[in-house]
Amino acid sequence: MLFALLIAGRLGIAAIFLYAGIAKDREPWLQFAVSIESFKIVPESWLEPLARDLPWCEIALGIALIPGILARWFSLIATGMLAWFLFIGIRAVAKGLTVDCGCFGSGGGAIDAKWFVEHAAMLALGLAVTAGEFLRARSPKREFVAEPTRSAG
Amino acid sequence: MEAMRYLLLFVPALLLTAQTPAAPKKTSAHGALTAASIPAKNFKESGSPTATVGVEIYTDYQCPACRQLYLDVLPSLVADFVATGKVHLLHRDFPLQMHQFSKLATRYANAAGTIGKYEIVANQIFVSQPEWELNGNVDAAVAKVLSPADMEKVRALVKNDTHLDDSVTVDVAMGNQDHLTQTPTLVIVAKGKRDVIGGGMPYSILKQYLNQKLAQCSVGCSLRC
Repeated sequence: MLFALLIAGRLGIAAIFLYAGIAKDREPWLQFAVSIESFKIVPESWLEPLARDLPWCEIALGIALIPGILARWFSLIATGMLAWFLFIGIRAVAKGLTVDCGCFGSGGGAIDAKWFVEHAAMLALGLAVTAGEFLRARSPKREFVAEPTRSAG
Repeated sequence: MEAMRYLLLFVPALLLTAQTPAAPKKTSAHGALTAASIPAKNFKESGSPTATVGVEIYTDYQCPACRQLYLDVLPSLVADFVATGKVHLLHRDFPLQMHQFSKLATRYANAAGTIGKYEIVANQIFVSQPEWELNGNVDAAVAKVLSPADMEKVRALVKNDTHLDDSVTVDVAMGNQDHLTQTPTLVIVAKGKRDVIGGGMPYSILKQYLNQKLAQCSVGCSLRC
């Protein structure tokens, strides 16, 4: 049961990253660059490379999370990214910046209470999956490995 | 079992890499409307009509981000791309309901455009935005940059011209087709595609983007191709 939940959680994170990456990649890179710029956190020279490459990194991470190979490390990276997104959102609000999240393409709107709830929930899911994957990796018996049957004789 | 897991890794990867680059850009949705959407030469247009790239700027005169774009980004855009014939520029009005005096300011700008004073008055309305947005006294702000005779003409047009908002109606309809969610919004038109970019931006990044668009538009490609 726990293993099924772990897989579901991991696939959920994969879906989030795939959706976010594809949504951004379908738009002109300038739109995402405008969103990144609104956070006032990177120099202008970084805007184009980030706007062009981050969506592909998200897509790659989403794909990498699906099969479960090195799942704990990919989950850790995903959780780190989610924590970073939440941090820069908090920072933007604390600085009184008017930002367009751009998380799932344009039209995401400003950062508000709903945004914080959503991102906190995604981060909580990421933390739970990462912890679960590390615990599973340390466990001597992985749940998905069938016990060898021994004959009594 | 292990082989199956590797297969799970690579099959979606192959599918995505094969499909994603071919995904149609959102901006092409209104490509067919491009030629019709740009009216005949009027006071809101500047630059060469045969330019390979078009930039349409939706603004609201009472929007602070529009003011920033107009004062910080537009002069460089005009100098580097419009005056050099690379880009065709079109202003579009998109007065937001939330701004009390925006429609009035738009009427003043368009009235000034009717008598050939659009640029100077539009600029003045944005420059003096922090003053008139407090009391709606756009008239006083505009009067500072026009002669008394021109000011009288503008006042008469603002008061009596029933067709002064016609171009605004067209712009708002076009903005709705472009799915505008905010002002300012830039629509970059190239190769029949409309790239809708919402929000203010530093000029440097817009310049990079326009240069890339211009590079993509090879010889023989016009704005309306």
